[in-house]
Amino acid sequence: MRQPLYILSACSISPQHSYDAENFLNPVVTTDDGKLRITAPDYSKYISPVAIRRMSRMLKAGITAGMKSLEMGGVTTPDAIIIGTARGSVTDMETFLKDMINLQEEALNPTGFIQSTYNSVNGWLAMMTRSTCYNQTYVHRGFSLELCLFDAQLMLSESQDKKYILAGGFDELTDEYVIIRGRIGYYKEQKLNSLSLLSHNDTSGSVAGEGAHFFTLSNNPENAACAIHTVQMLLKPTSEAVQAAIADMLAQNELQKEDIDVIMCGMNGDSRSQFLVDPVVNDCHEHTTITTFKQLSGEYDTASGFGLWLVNYLFTQKRIPEEIVYKKGTSTRIKNVLLFNVTILGNVTLMLMTTPPARP
Amino acid sequence: MAERVVITATGIISALGTGKDTHISAIRNLRSGVNGVSLLKSVHAHEFLLGEIKKSNDDLAVIMGLPTGDNGYTRTTLLCLAAMNDLLQNTDITLLQNEPFAFINANTVGGMSKMEDIYMDVLTVGADERNNKYINTLDCAESTENVAAHYGLKPIMATISTACSSSSNSLILGARMIKQGLVKRAVCGGGDALSRFTLNGFYSLKNVDKMPCKPFDQNRGGLNLGEASGFCLLESESSAKARGANIIAVLSGYANTNDAYHPTAPSPTGEGARRTMQQALDMAGLKTTDIGYINAHGTATQNNDLSEGLAIQTLFGTNAPHFSSTKPYTGHTLAAAGVIEAIFSMWAMEERIVIPNLNFETQMEELSIKPVSGLLENVTIDHVLSNSFGFGGSNVSLIFSKA
Repeated sequence: MRQPLYILSACSISPQHSYDAENFLNPVVTTDDGKLRITAPDYSKYISPVAIRRMSRMLKAGITAGMKSLEMGGVTTPDAIIIGTARGSVTDMETFLKDMINLQEEALNPTGFIQSTYNSVNGWLAMMTRSTCYNQTYVHRGFSLELCLFDAQLMLSESQDKKYILAGGFDELTDEYVIIRGRIGYYKEQKLNSLSLLSHNDTSGSVAGEGAHFFTLSNNPENAACAIHTVQMLLKPTSEAVQAAIADMLAQNELQKEDIDVIMCGMNGDSRSQFLVDPVVNDCHEHTTITTFKQLSGEYDTASGFGLWLVNYLFTQKRIPEEIVYKKGTSTRIKNVLLFNVTILGNVTLMLMTTPPARP
Repeated sequence: MAERVVITATGIISALGTGKDTHISAIRNLRSGVNGVSLLKSVHAHEFLLGEIKKSNDDLAVIMGLPTGDNGYTRTTLLCLAAMNDLLQNTDITLLQNEPFAFINANTVGGMSKMEDIYMDVLTVGADERNNKYINTLDCAESTENVAAHYGLKPIMATISTACSSSSNSLILGARMIKQGLVKRAVCGGGDALSRFTLNGFYSLKNVDKMPCKPFDQNRGGLNLGEASGFCLLESESSAKARGANIIAVLSGYANTNDAYHPTAPSPTGEGARRTMQQALDMAGLKTTDIGYINAHGTATQNNDLSEGLAIQTLFGTNAPHFSSTKPYTGHTLAAAGVIEAIFSMWAMEERIVIPNLNFETQMEELSIKPVSGLLENVTIDHVLSNSFGFGGSNVSLIFSKA
């Protein structure tokens, strides 16, 4: 699909100070315990005090990131709400599951059951924006957010009308989640500071993270900082398949390797996926600056949402913060950016982004 | 004009059995699959009736030629495999091997049916390592990726979860991808296995009837849960015709809207459901009088049936077409409900029957319309409408038309 998705606004609730982006990386938030938890903003702007007490943490984060993204994009009622989450509100699932086990299935409070439903953030955002239009939830592991963008591209290809879509992703970190996924090698066993994650790519696993990232998308380029042109999802690819997909993507968009100013690289410090990362990093053109983000976000299924937010941030700020530079290139502009993400399961997603309005 | 999307094959497993013949026979013989519990290990098992598939995980594994015991497959995945296996009985698998296709799956709780048994163990230091292979099965995508891998297929994959409308949304996504020319074919549907988690969830919401459910009845007392999986092969009309495929139906209209009203309850006036059905009719270019049968969502909960009944009455008038809920046959199969009821709707058109709304006795006070309570044969149906509504205000209507 060639339909550009113009990003009108982006809002991220992450471990970093991304919600109030003027304080981004000031200071850099790090952890030594392997768990990068979100820096929670004041939720009372969009959520009533009663609801704040009742809602679980990721519902609040998802709703707030979604509402703020719309507000920043100047959209009151979107034409679609499309959300990706690999595991929804994990806290609610755990609460209901453990109550069920411990109370032997008697006298259970349904709140956890209701809120753990994967489309509950979708429902809340529809209610709060009075959006009775298209509403969809993708729950496909590390492709969850990318499927939202794919759907948004599909939707904008279906109509010539100006449309405004709220798309986003969220996933949650809990102590139990880390214990359970830790059993199958998701996280590093050694103690390290999260900021040094990527220099420990000789051992398996990553640092756990969480976040909620929402984007107001449109086929109308007015006021957009950048556009997503192509979204690719590769299931357990070989390194050659990744290289071929990148080459295809560049060719489709009539770009050469040297035209890529920035590769936003979602390397996660996991030795098992380094074979997918190395060729991308090593074979890039000298113009290209490689930046990284998982040392700031931690690893989770929709972490590419933080990467996408960060690319949008580069386009809006027109500069690259030193803290995220992995390899400095000679290009001084930010025009064409490749977002390259790798997941723990060895899946890869790619997005080609440029400055609006037209393709270069 | 975009190309029409047709359905050329179906695959299904539910409490009524596997495949079309078994289902049609049960439907015609008014045989419900909602019975006492024999497999789900719940303290409430003796209190409830469920649309349980009376095949153990080992039985299902044997059918699929998989090892029995701890084979790493959850019941959710096994049900999806069984439905896909049924679809492939009538479909040349090379159609899915030689050209790009989409595989759109849906479920509500992934492999919870297994995870709820091992959760406390996998949290414990020194836990049984044999359970490690199930840790990622709580991901909804697990069954999607496992089904594709089992058949060695490499489709464009997506997994959807919009509660009880999930697999209806699968069909919509597949149809949209075909219309945009991204793929010629898409296998779309979903599956959910019964779990204590879900049973207790609906029980804690006081939404479960301990007796056989009575959709659209004044004295309805809630739903019976069930389990099922179903898939449809969607195809562009030109590619179906080019290969001389039997076209079961045309997916002529669909709509996905949101109530924007309440996290778990539909709008009491049925405004959201009415809007969804209207949009699907608009897409299909049909009038309300063109619809010959409505397969209602009809969960038999107080809220749904009032809201949906009013929506049908408002849109179609007091002279509404034949309508029924087939959930008394299968139980409410959650993420699978959309696709299996879409399949029932197409079969109704093919077999020229209206499937009865079992257990209906008493007219609802708020409505002047009532569901079809006995099997109707030799009914000409050119267009059917199938509704699926879920938590989060998620509404989907699908319209199938004769080829």
